[in-house]
Parts: sequence; structure tokens; C-alpha cells
Amino acid sequence: MLGNEAITRGALEAGVAVVAAYPGTPSSEVPITFSRIAKKAGVYFEYSTNEKVAFETAAGAAWCGVRSMTALKHFGLNVAADSVSPVAYTGVKAGFVVMVSDDPNGWSSAQSEQDTRYCAKMFKMPMIEPCSPQEALEYTKKAFDLSEKYGIPVFMRTTTKTSHSIGTVKVGKIKKPKRKGFFKKSHETYYNIRPALQKMHIKVDAKLKKIQEKEAGKFTKAFKGKGSIGVIVSGVSYDYFKEAMQMLKISPPVLKLGMVNPFPEKQVKQFIKGKKQVLVLEELEAFIEEEVERMAKTANPKLVIHGKDMLPNYGEYNLEVIMPALAKVFKKKAPNFKAHDKMVEKALKGLPPRKPVFCPGCPHRSTFYAVKQVYGNKAVFAGDVGCYVLGIFEPYSMQDFMISMGASMGLSHGITKVSDQEVIAFIGDSTFFHASMPGLANLAYNDGKAPLVVILDNSYTAMTGHQPHPGTGVTGMGDVAEAIKIEDICKAMGAEVRVASSFSQKQLVAALKDLKKKKGLRVLISKGECRLVTRRKVRRGGGELPVFEIDQEKCKKCGICTDHFACPAIFELREKKGEKPKYWINPEICWGCSVCAQICPYGAIKPVKKKVSE
Amino acid sequence: MKFSVMLIGVGGEGVLTAGALVAQAAHEQGHFVRGVQLHGLAQRGGSIPTFVRFGSENEISSPGIMEGDADLVLAFEPLEAVRATHYASKKKTAFVIDDNAYMPVYANLLDLPYPPMKEIAKRVKPFAKELMVFNTAKLAEKEFGAAVLGNTMLVGAAVGAGLLPLKKESVHKAIKALAPRMVEENIKAFEAGVKLGKRGR
Repeated sequence: MLGNEAITRGALEAGVAVVAAYPGTPSSEVPITFSRIAKKAGVYFEYSTNEKVAFETAAGAAWCGVRSMTALKHFGLNVAADSVSPVAYTGVKAGFVVMVSDDPNGWSSAQSEQDTRYCAKMFKMPMIEPCSPQEALEYTKKAFDLSEKYGIPVFMRTTTKTSHSIGTVKVGKIKKPKRKGFFKKSHETYYNIRPALQKMHIKVDAKLKKIQEKEAGKFTKAFKGKGSIGVIVSGVSYDYFKEAMQMLKISPPVLKLGMVNPFPEKQVKQFIKGKKQVLVLEELEAFIEEEVERMAKTANPKLVIHGKDMLPNYGEYNLEVIMPALAKVFKKKAPNFKAHDKMVEKALKGLPPRKPVFCPGCPHRSTFYAVKQVYGNKAVFAGDVGCYVLGIFEPYSMQDFMISMGASMGLSHGITKVSDQEVIAFIGDSTFFHASMPGLANLAYNDGKAPLVVILDNSYTAMTGHQPHPGTGVTGMGDVAEAIKIEDICKAMGAEVRVASSFSQKQLVAALKDLKKKKGLRVLISKGECRLVTRRKVRRGGGELPVFEIDQEKCKKCGICTDHFACPAIFELREKKGEKPKYWINPEICWGCSVCAQICPYGAIKPVKKKVSE
Repeated sequence: MKFSVMLIGVGGEGVLTAGALVAQAAHEQGHFVRGVQLHGLAQRGGSIPTFVRFGSENEISSPGIMEGDADLVLAFEPLEAVRATHYASKKKTAFVIDDNAYMPVYANLLDLPYPPMKEIAKRVKPFAKELMVFNTAKLAEKEFGAAVLGNTMLVGAAVGAGLLPLKKESVHKAIKALAPRMVEENIKAFEAGVKLGKRGR
């Protein structure tokens, strides 16, 4: 079972009844799994338009005494943040779990390696942190009980490798969810304004104090061992450490932390008493290490504390990262990775890299290509978050920056207020609903006429696995809903709107040229379904997509289709370096979008009908 | 006992599914299983490494494989086999490679030629206790009209060659448990792979 599936299972075993989320890797398999099973399990599930709305939806249900949950990535928590702190103050009437995934190493196109543990302190919420999928299941259940017992929302934090690792999991019984609740009015509980506010602040602190005294120890495991050097560890680092212990043949005393806020002070103080040294193993920042330093001041001032002095606060931990630090502290010999690294470097020398690219037939590639035809390389390309971040790579290089969901609107506005450069703001459809409407309204209202807004509409939240959004026409539970037209919203805000098919260079170029001449707020909506979905639909329906071929007689070997358009299905074949190439389309991976045929200046690319192969 | 398999290939070509098959088969055989799937950006035509580790619960806890510590590399694409060398070593690693090349866009863009299989083997050999090359994707395309079944066939080849300690029955059970489309075809492809692996010995 995947870590995220184990979390879903844990929530079902805890009787969760309402789940709302906006997909964000590495947490996305939690909503994906709920989306699949919600109806059968009697759970209400929705893909909300963004994380703030999702958090509020789940919190509202929890206020009514119904167990609820949201799952988000670290940046998702930032989006929800406005509502998180006040809800921690009001508290909840039923278990409310906020699952949050940090992403050291940025596997998921993350824009920073944010460590969310600090948010738990800031927002005054308990935070628990499992290591393996098995523990993820157990902790999720405990998180619901803890939340309900103390009437406080609880963070369940993972890092990528807890969420995305698989492991054998023993499951329990699923509890029937209680879906009906009732909102009981109470000024005392819900009026977050002074003078009650201070009282609420005192109340939430008292809850945390009680949790620290009575509950933190339940998530802490102390293992006896040999010697005066101890190890304090949490999260997935524990799973690496367990195996490293065997490999290095060491058995030191170990304290495994499962709750990082409120901090298990009593347990840590007891553990460090009498120790000469401790090594703290935690991914990202020195959160635990700083707390241990604080504890040591009174409990053991002479204690030597190791952690980020020998381990990085960036990237993920794994055996290679922690083994050298352990070997150093415990005076053992670590495997010589350096010699091996050199051999690997030699083996890889001169080989072409395989960076992620737009899929064959991707509508975004076609849109970027057309924008480049009309605007060239010099315009500022304001990037955003979605599959289109892949436009950052060569040969496009058309995402000059990408800061956060919807940020292309505001940033391009700011740039055009002080610079005369041409600016294009790219945004996706799901991102449009998520966080771009306020930015677009701002452009419309505050004289933001300068940037051209290009909306890349592929009908889904494609990057995280084709989840639906309000423009899709289907809900997270698979029910049909009236789709909201992005075009109508832009028009209502007073924008000059053009809609073009992403798969027609002619339409795209004509619309872009037309908008380039216009004044006022201008929006191009490039509409083309994600080709992965089209292909899946055609395959399931037993239909056909065309496959394109290059006529070798007509091909003048100009290289536009490979070097400028760069579809991964088109190849430049050369037996030897320096030899004239032959251009060829691999029929296995051509998904028939036809755009290469449109951009070929010699009309050398033609379709042939072919059944979609498995 | 602990056994570490690295599966590597190109995003979208069924590497994750093959990883799930190995993990499920190990589970059916009563092993404790850990592993990692990588999602997100890397899925789009990028290089996809997947780890599956199985054996006794006392010995395995890390989801990932340590540098040079893989017992088996299953490479569904030759160039990716070279990228797996980080996790391989002459002392313990067997390589089972499908020679179905999938040229990266960057071979064109950076004018770095895609090396022939001979050169790939040369680069991999310093890290390989054993090296076997098959052409399962092409065979599967020919026999079943579905190149993706080549993945199941390659898993079969590793089992047949005795390089992946899974029982045939466990893999059959896993195929049924995972219930992808084409259960029967997958079992046939697996069995064809086992034969290939035995013959390759």
C-alpha cells in the first residue's frame, strides 16, 4: 500500500465522513483514492477550487460534529493559511485532520523546500509525523481521536517518501461514517474578535499544554541501547536509520518522535540526561535539533548535539546521506561512495539526458510554439504552476519565472507598471479557478492593460492526474455538474477574449496577432483537451487516432519539427556523428495531434490512420 | 533475507505498473515489502526509477535502495540502464535489459548521439555481476500487439533466469490481484518471458 493510500484507509477506519481537497503532489493520492471510493464508502468527497476552500469545507463539517479531513501539499497550506489559525482558535466538535505533505527535493515541481513543522507552531495546532505506510495508517486514526478529544484540528505531516513509498500494511475495520451534523450557534466559540479573542488564545494554549502533558508521550518511542551517544529521529528518517544501524552494526539508545508539536519535552529531557552526544535525524530544517538544544540548557548543558552540522537541510535523506554522518559519530567505516560516484560519472559521460518534456500531442507545446511565432523570444514570459512549467526547458524557455499558483497575473501586472517590455502571462484552467480570478479582476480594474493573458485550457487539473475542476463538468464524486465557462468570466471582467483551438496553429496565430493590435485587457483562451485523456478515451472506445508520417522525398531536413517544435515522437536519426540525418516519427508514440504537419514548411508530414495500440 | 530491485524506464511506459507487479508478487509470497514510486514532474517523458525491496521485516525498512546496493536492475530502456549504475555494483547487481530504445528529445537538441546497445553494455559492465539483454517490447508487440506487455515479459525473463526470487504462482496471483486489463495476456506474456529467461541461461 502506498503511504497516501494508508492514510486514506486510516481515515476510513476512523469513520471520516467529509473530505475536501485540491490536488497537490505529494499528497494527491489521498484525494485520488477518496474520489474513487467515496460513493461506496458513504463519504462526501469534493475537489474544491483551492486549498483554502477545501480546508473551510472540511472545517465547517467538523464544526457540525462530523469527522472530516483535508489533504494538501506544503504550498497548499500556505493558500489555506488565512483560515487555519482562526479555526485552531475556534476549535472543532468532531475529529478534523489536516494532512500536509512537504516535498524535500522538489519532486513535484515545488517552488521551495518549505518545512511545514514551523506552521504547526505558528498556527497552534498539534502535528504528528509517521514514518512508514503502516504507521501512517495508525497515526491517521489516532489523529482523529486526538482532534476530537481536545476539540482542536490536527496536522498529519508527511514528507515525500512517507507519502510515496509502498509498504506492507496490516489494516483494521472500516467504520461507518456519520454524515449528519448540526451547527450549534455559540458566540463564545466562534466570534474571533476582541475581547473574546484573547480568551480563545488562552484556551488553545491550554489545549496544547494538556496535549503535551498527556498525549505527546504516546507518540514517542524510546529504545534502549548501548553507549552514551543517543539518536533522536522522526519521520521517514527513522526507516533509513533502522537499516543503517544494521549495516554499521551499532545499537545506540534511540528516541523516535511521532509528535513534533507540542514538543515532547519531558521525554526528550529524560532521554538526553546522562548522554554525552546526540545525533538528530530529521529531513529539512533543524526543527527538532533547535528544540533539543533548548531542552539541553536545563537538562544536560554539556551535551554535544549533532544534526545539521554534518547533514544537509536541503534535499531528502536516504541511506547514502545519513550513513557518513552516523559513521562519523559512532566511529565506524562508511561505504566509500566517492569512488563509486566517480565510476558512475564516467559511465554517464556524454549520454543525452532525459528531462521531463511535454507529452506527444500536448496542447501546451502547440500554444507555446504559436506565441513564439508572434512574440519572438524577447517578451517576458510570466510562468505559473501546472504542466506548462515544462515550457521552462529548451527549446521553448518560455517560463521566465514561476512563483506560485496564480502568481503570473500579479507579477506581470507589477512588471508592466514599471517596464515597457511586452509581457505574456500564462495560466492553466485549473489554476485559473484556483487563484487567478482575483489577479484577473485586479488587471481589469487597476489599468492592467499591458500584459497579454494566455489561458492554457486542457479541461483538467492534468499535472496531478486529471482531476476535474469547475470548468470540467464532472465533480470529484463523478457526478455531472454544469461547467463554468472561463470565457464568460473573462468577458464579465471586461476583457477582450479570443478562443482558439490549441491544435490549430492558424487559429492561434490569427488570435494572437489580432490581440497584439488591441488595447485593453486581452485574454487568449487556447482550448485543447489533454492528449493523455483524448488517447485514453479513444482507446477505451476502440476508436482511431491518426498517426503522422514524414515523406522522405519532401522532407528538406530543416530540423524545425525536432529542434524548434521538439515533439518527443519525432526523431533525427544518424548512424554517425556529422552525418546528414533522417527524420522519422515513431508511430508508437505519435498521438495524432497534427501540429507538426501544420508547422512543416514543406508539407512533408502526412497522416495515416492507425488504431491506438495498448 | 532482503532483496532489492530497481526498475527503470521512461515515464508513461508502464514502469510503475511493473513495479507494482513485483511488489504485489513479493507480498503474495509472504514477504514484507517496501519501495518507492516517484510521481509528479518526472512522469512526463522523464526518467522513472522505481524501487521494490522485499524480505524479512527485521531487515528491511528503508523504502529506497542505497548506492551500489541493488540486487537486480530491470531496465525497460537501454539508456536508462546506464542511469541505474548509481545503485549497482559488480559485487552483487544483475542487469536485465530490454533493448527497446526510446530516444530522448535531448539527443536531438544537444546533438548527443544515442549509443548502440554494444556501448551501453560496455558502460554497464563495470557495475554488473551479470548482464542479460532481451527484446521483450518488440516480441510483445509482435505476439500480443501490445508493446507494454513487454514489461511483464521482462519481469518473467528475470524470474526465468533465476535473477528475481519470485515464484511463478506468486506472479500469477499478483497479476490477478492487480487486475489490470488483459489478465490473461499478462500471464501469457509473463510465461513467455520465463521461457526466454531460461533459454538465456
